[in-house]
Amino acid sequence: MTNKLAKLIFYLGTLISLVLFLALTFDTHRQIQTLTHADQLSEQVVAGKRVWHKYNCNDCHTILGFGSYYGPDMTKVYWRRGSEGIKAVIRSPEKFTTWRKMPRLPLTDKELEDLVAFLQWTSEIDTQGWPPQDQKLRGAPGRAVTLGVSPGAVLFQEKGCFACHRLYGTGGQQGPELTHVGSRLSYETIEKVLTDPRSTNPQATMPPPMVSHEERDRLAAFLAGMK
Amino acid sequence: MLLAYSSQRVAYPYFLVALLLFLLQVVVGTWLALSYAVTMPQWLVDILPFSTTRAIHTNLLVLWLLLGFMGTTYFMIPEETEREIFSPLLAYLQLTLLVGTGVTAIVGFLLGWTKGKPLLEIPFPLDYLVVAGALIFLFNVGMTVIQAKQWTLIQGSLFGGLVFLAVMYLFNLPFYANLSIDWYYWWWVIHLWVEGAWELVAAALTAWILIKITNVPRELVEKWLYVELGLFLFTGIAGTGHHYYWLGAPKYWLWVGGFFSALEPLPILLMVLDAWHYIRNRRAGLNGRLIFTLAVGMSILHFVGAGFWGFAHTLPQINYYTHGSQVTVAHGHLAFFGAYVLLNIMSFYYAMPRLEGLAEFDERRGTLAFWWMSITMMLMTLAFSVAGVLQTYVERVMGLGYMTAQAQMRFWFAILVVLGLSLLGGVILTVVDLLTLRPALAGAKKA
Repeated sequence: MTNKLAKLIFYLGTLISLVLFLALTFDTHRQIQTLTHADQLSEQVVAGKRVWHKYNCNDCHTILGFGSYYGPDMTKVYWRRGSEGIKAVIRSPEKFTTWRKMPRLPLTDKELEDLVAFLQWTSEIDTQGWPPQDQKLRGAPGRAVTLGVSPGAVLFQEKGCFACHRLYGTGGQQGPELTHVGSRLSYETIEKVLTDPRSTNPQATMPPPMVSHEERDRLAAFLAGMK
Repeated sequence: MLLAYSSQRVAYPYFLVALLLFLLQVVVGTWLALSYAVTMPQWLVDILPFSTTRAIHTNLLVLWLLLGFMGTTYFMIPEETEREIFSPLLAYLQLTLLVGTGVTAIVGFLLGWTKGKPLLEIPFPLDYLVVAGALIFLFNVGMTVIQAKQWTLIQGSLFGGLVFLAVMYLFNLPFYANLSIDWYYWWWVIHLWVEGAWELVAAALTAWILIKITNVPRELVEKWLYVELGLFLFTGIAGTGHHYYWLGAPKYWLWVGGFFSALEPLPILLMVLDAWHYIRNRRAGLNGRLIFTLAVGMSILHFVGAGFWGFAHTLPQINYYTHGSQVTVAHGHLAFFGAYVLLNIMSFYYAMPRLEGLAEFDERRGTLAFWWMSITMMLMTLAFSVAGVLQTYVERVMGLGYMTAQAQMRFWFAILVVLGLSLLGGVILTVVDLLTLRPALAGAKKA
């Protein structure tokens, strides 16, 4: 190896890589607008991102797979828990965690709404199908709705029930599987559980769902029909 | 006279602070492992969450490594330019500013004052003070080099790397409304630091120390330095793409990131071969073995941690399952240890005896500490890797819940607590040894 060749490797290697990198960065800026639905970056979403930073969420949770690994990834958390599910965990983390704890953070109601808007926007970023474990949730409410059982299926997704309960193998592990709940429990019992989970089982760890009377009835009708 | 230039003395306080922060970093790291292994009570989590201690652990790492680089630069630049540092006073001022900012930031983290971006949590306006500190440093070193009017490649690589480092930090200053763009430029700081700017600094400091301890001709070292730097930048710049697979960027990053980052081990391998070659063909007898052990150990662990463990999960087909898991943690720990922690320790072991006026020193404690820390870190990497593979399989492949996977990994975090304590022992030994170097025993000289 001559000195000249060594210098050539240095200058050429650096230049090729740099030019390619900057050109692709330029192109990425154009494409990322579509890939992230940047037109839906409302003021509320941006405010929610500031909340995300303010409480240093990212030093326990990853988002887009980046950050710390102490808690679950937040990229698609909106698919997993829905807006009410996310709010319930942040309001009372001690009810949802077992042996690894999350701090009780003093978010205002507005901050909570903004953060949910940010996480909803984030869940729609085109991440080339990452993370693998959340892909099965995509369209889960759609599947339940097309089963034709009840419009309560939509509520089941939105209120975050999938966080703990499974339907047809989709959903969390904490609560019981609900695919055939209608054959075990009557409409009235389900309604009672939805009003106050401890009314039927004093040991229940399920938080009372944040639903109106009308929504509760629709959810109960949906679940009672799952036979 | 062991010190050719009296202004080299400014390096000492830099080393002292760096060593103390290193110790603190490992204490906090062990606490983090404990937080994974046992159930912390809710009241404690409420006042001292994991996020806070994690921010402290990583910021201490960055701060002490940079202070170490800066101290070593101040030690080296007078000998390299054959003149005193432009202003020793500015060097002390810069240290005070950076340490003051760092301590304020850490107290701030405890009180919940943060920018909320991992590794770059230092909030406004403290981040601007960091920039001010970096500018003072660049000015001071730059003036010394300019006045000397004799550029060498080692100076160029060092100064270029330091400017590169400072410029990249600027991408951390704005607020990005779009999360994907935010992370896109976050990697301009983090990746282009550790796989760009810091590698330039590391290559320059390593080359300089190797010339000093082996007396091989500078022309030979500088020729291969050009090749190393070229390969580092060729693979490292476009290799940033391996962080862009899943963040909402176009699909071509899977190809670009995969290809360039797969080549990233090459320059590190070249460094290993170079160091080995220079040491085997050394011309002058620098007494002692520790510095050579450190030089070889550093380059090998740099290769294993950054090269091998990096390559293991850099291809998109694998990274799809391992991204954001404990596999990353395994790679991060060994890569930082091999590439930058041991580089700093080697630099300290080169400079400290000279600052203390010791021609030869008793190397037994230092040698023990090196092996102790390195073996422990290797075991830690294996424990993190087992946890990472479990997480990848249970959570990502089988699709079971996050906490289901964590329950399977818990045993390995308990092991990591024990290893963390062991590492702490090795670090204490290193720090104590460096601060209380003793003359070599008469009989042990040639041993």
